[in-house]
Amino acid sequence: MKDRIDFRLLGALLRKNRREKTSDFRKGHFNAVGFVMRLMLTGALIAVFVIFFGKFLDMYTGIKTDNALAPQERLYELLSIVYGAILIALVLSGVSKINTSLFASDDMRVIAALPIGANTLYLSKIILIYLSQLAVACVTVLPTNITVAVHCEVTAAFYPLTVLTCLLLPLISVALSSILALPFHAVTAALKERFVVNFIVITLLTAALLFLYAYLLEVVKELLLGDQMRYFFNEKVMDAIEKTAAYIYPANLIADILLGRRLLVSSLSIVGILVVCTLVSFFAIRGLLMGSLQSKISGRSDFVRRPKGHARANSPFVAMLKKEFLLIFRTPSYMFSYFAVAVVVPLLVYFCMSVGSSLALKLIAVDSNLELAIFLTLLFGTLGNMFCSTNISREGLLFYSLKAMPLDYRHVVFSKVALCMVVTAVSQMLSAVLLAATGYVSAANAAFLFAIGVLFGFTQVCVATRVDFNHPHFSTEAGGEIQESGNTSSSVIVSGILLAFALGGALLLTKMYFSLRGLADAYAYLTYVISACFAVVSAAGAVAFLLVGLKDKYYRFGGGGAR
Amino acid sequence: MAENNMPVAENVVTVNGLWKKYSKRADYAVQDVSFKVNAGEIVGILGHNGAGKSTTLKCLEGMLPFDKGNISICGYDIVAEPVKAKANMGFVTDDHAVFVKMTGIEYIDFMSDVYKVPQAIRQTRVDQLEKVFCLGDSIQNLISSYSHGMRQKICMMGSLIHSPKLWILDEPMTGLDPRTMRAVQDYMKYYASIGNAILFSSHALNTVAKICDRVVLIRKGKRVDELVMSEFADRADFDFEEYFLSNEGQD
Repeated sequence: MKDRIDFRLLGALLRKNRREKTSDFRKGHFNAVGFVMRLMLTGALIAVFVIFFGKFLDMYTGIKTDNALAPQERLYELLSIVYGAILIALVLSGVSKINTSLFASDDMRVIAALPIGANTLYLSKIILIYLSQLAVACVTVLPTNITVAVHCEVTAAFYPLTVLTCLLLPLISVALSSILALPFHAVTAALKERFVVNFIVITLLTAALLFLYAYLLEVVKELLLGDQMRYFFNEKVMDAIEKTAAYIYPANLIADILLGRRLLVSSLSIVGILVVCTLVSFFAIRGLLMGSLQSKISGRSDFVRRPKGHARANSPFVAMLKKEFLLIFRTPSYMFSYFAVAVVVPLLVYFCMSVGSSLALKLIAVDSNLELAIFLTLLFGTLGNMFCSTNISREGLLFYSLKAMPLDYRHVVFSKVALCMVVTAVSQMLSAVLLAATGYVSAANAAFLFAIGVLFGFTQVCVATRVDFNHPHFSTEAGGEIQESGNTSSSVIVSGILLAFALGGALLLTKMYFSLRGLADAYAYLTYVISACFAVVSAAGAVAFLLVGLKDKYYRFGGGGAR
Repeated sequence: MAENNMPVAENVVTVNGLWKKYSKRADYAVQDVSFKVNAGEIVGILGHNGAGKSTTLKCLEGMLPFDKGNISICGYDIVAEPVKAKANMGFVTDDHAVFVKMTGIEYIDFMSDVYKVPQAIRQTRVDQLEKVFCLGDSIQNLISSYSHGMRQKICMMGSLIHSPKLWILDEPMTGLDPRTMRAVQDYMKYYASIGNAILFSSHALNTVAKICDRVVLIRKGKRVDELVMSEFADRADFDFEEYFLSNEGQD
């Protein structure tokens, strides 16, 4: 029988998704703080982008090649590269979204058993991915094009064509992502139960991205400090940009259309690319989808595990610690947001230190490496410790099973705190060693930095665990993953950042104040006294916060929203 | 070891005047429920959906706090001495909640650690349970790859690894194949025959009628009746299903 698209069922599937997406609003579980924070962050990023991109646009379109101005040519190059970057980002996120929604989504287990054709199912999933990509395209393309319209001469057709670009970019990205989803799925399926390899791959990828980021920061720093901006775009660089723009398909075709160049050829080329990609991706993904549906129903794993005997007997506390480690290590999203982040945090600290140290020396003429190191350690440590705000919620309904086991409440709670502390200590130690090895701080200061970092980490872990204990949010699915626990995660990260800025800012200001008066050496001890007092007092407060009433709360525990 | 913890006790479980109310509900989920389970007995809790069976069992297991009443397991009060009370029981929840990121063998080791089962006897215990539950090589796989029935089996194995004096099962037959269902029933009878107590809830009336010594009937959170099954064993006119359904209808 031919598998026709059933538009009535398609509508039902889309409505089901809309209801799921808006269920938090209806149930009153809406994370208002997180939403406002995300909105503010996006708004701030767009504002920064618009300001800098506008200035850059003025400078770039004024560059002469062969002693002649060619603003339209420069605009074409710039738009091609910007759309190219947006397209790459959309394709990468599209690949991830296709894999998640087609192969990892739990609703497929139910949908697979319903009388819904594969074409209808595929189309419903692709439409949803397209809509989310459309939102990203609007947030990135609109500020870019509006800035261009304000700073450069554009035709009247530029505005409607901007809307077309917003619609077209996600369409192309979904088509390309569908093709790339095949090899990506093969790789992730192969790595699925190879947890160690998974960890290494994810950590290396994150570290590589960080190195790229650090390189860009270094370039920006050189440009800012050396006033070399106008000399950067020399003949050689301009030639490379020109060549890149000429080959960055299909982004350059969109730039062509927007600027009214080679309209017919560019439009036909885009239509051709779309048709080919759609056809290839449709057949490729449909084939994959059928396999996915079958494996969802059977629920079997192809991975063959090496038989193992019984492990050495452990105390209940160690058993809990081991269980906690396995839960995080074997859940890719947890592993990334905790272990991989904890490993790359020292790199972040180091990269920012390398930029911040010389910038501080240049701008305020004060050697404030230790103060800056404390600030960065606390700031990025918060990023890793944010994961602890799901210490209880992560357990889900199994928390009730733990309650039924002969475990002291301290074993249950402290095992979670202990694992977090091991990870925090390793991460802080790597940061301190890296900064000492690269000469930013002395060995003694590195030891002090480590102690302060661990104490603040301990404070955050204790507070995050208790807040989550008081207000847990369990997944309604067995083994369901939790990315954030309501407002707890947002609150923990906001308070961590505020704490880092409060202490780091206080230390830097104190240092500056005494340096300007030539008393930096005499009052150097203040950095140690202030941070040590701050760290010890906050750690003591956090322990009290964690422990007071914990036993009674554990017995009375009945939260989570799922039972 | 759990089996050595028991003080002088004929009654393995004593539930006395149990009241439980959920915070967002106006009425009590469990109202003044009392019953006992003796060593060597299999006791079934029967009732319609939402009658309060699972809530009673969860209070008994220490999962949920309760408002009034006393619960003691092997002489240990579940509130005053929770760790000692829980060390004497093994439980299987109705949702077969289990750590899916562990392999079967890792889960068994985890439960053995938590219940302090000596290393020397772990393999013997697993071999004994394996004969009943037949997980085979799947015990080496991640539990996330298990079917519904296999998860149920690993839950049961984990709950028995320390040979508890009290075995609590909430809807134990759900999802099991007929062969395993029979094996579990036989094992329940054997387990009770060696001096342990079993308390379980079920909707499978045939199973309840076949293996239970006593049945506690719960309706709308209240204990409405208690049957000693041996009293009806020789009565040809007694139909357990009819009895249950007619009792359900009384309001």
